[in-house]
Amino acid sequence: MIGNDVVDLALAKKESNWQRKGFLDKIFTQKEQLLITSAINPETMVWNLWSRKEAAYKIYNRETGLRGYFPLQIACNYDDENSGSITINERTYFTKTSVSSARIHTIALTNKEAFSRIKKLNRSDAIVKTNGIPFVVCSNSTAVKPVSISHHGQFWEGITLMD
Amino acid sequence: MNKEQTLQELKSIIKPYTQNQEALEILTEDTDFINDLKINSANLVDVILDIEEKYNIVIDNESMERMVNVKAALEIIDTKLASKS
Repeated sequence: MIGNDVVDLALAKKESNWQRKGFLDKIFTQKEQLLITSAINPETMVWNLWSRKEAAYKIYNRETGLRGYFPLQIACNYDDENSGSITINERTYFTKTSVSSARIHTIALTNKEAFSRIKKLNRSDAIVKTNGIPFVVCSNSTAVKPVSISHHGQFWEGITLMD
Repeated sequence: MNKEQTLQELKSIIKPYTQNQEALEILTEDTDFINDLKINSANLVDVILDIEEKYNIVIDNESMERMVNVKAALEIIDTKLASKS
């Protein structure tokens, strides 16, 4: 299963004041807050970790059917700026994050080997939704493949898995 | 707690964060914060912090987990206020 999340950093800066009293405590564990405060650019770290939680939660929600707002239970295991894993209630998801000055994009997978099979979609690709979950229709067959889409500000990222 | 009053107060708290003003106008108990009001999930923290500040209550993580729609928010505010008095 796949999940992704994109953050438009300029928009995030307008929409959220991450330094607001109590904000970090609601979302990030002590370990994660330490990563933030000791980072060269704490703001980027905030959204890097946040996008990992969001991407992993998308998979968790699709796997379990459970909905809720529990960012503290979505624990980041941070290897480096671009990789790590997320644990949610004994489930583990692997993440890869790309960071630029304008945008952060995280892809989460249940299977670590599958990163090489990720294909990026274009907005013009045929995407259908069933029960709110998007699928893409393959051009060379009638098979539908799972897809994850994320849109924030000027950035749109859609991904699917090739066989 | 006067439910109608709290509902109006909740509406003003939500207003700056919702991308869907129409859904805010026709708000009901079943209105979902993320799906209907299109509040981005990072701003949901702001809604919760605003509620905590306004009513001088603490919304613990267990309560926050359930806070996905208006009905849950009203229940949680009610419970937290009741446990204060």
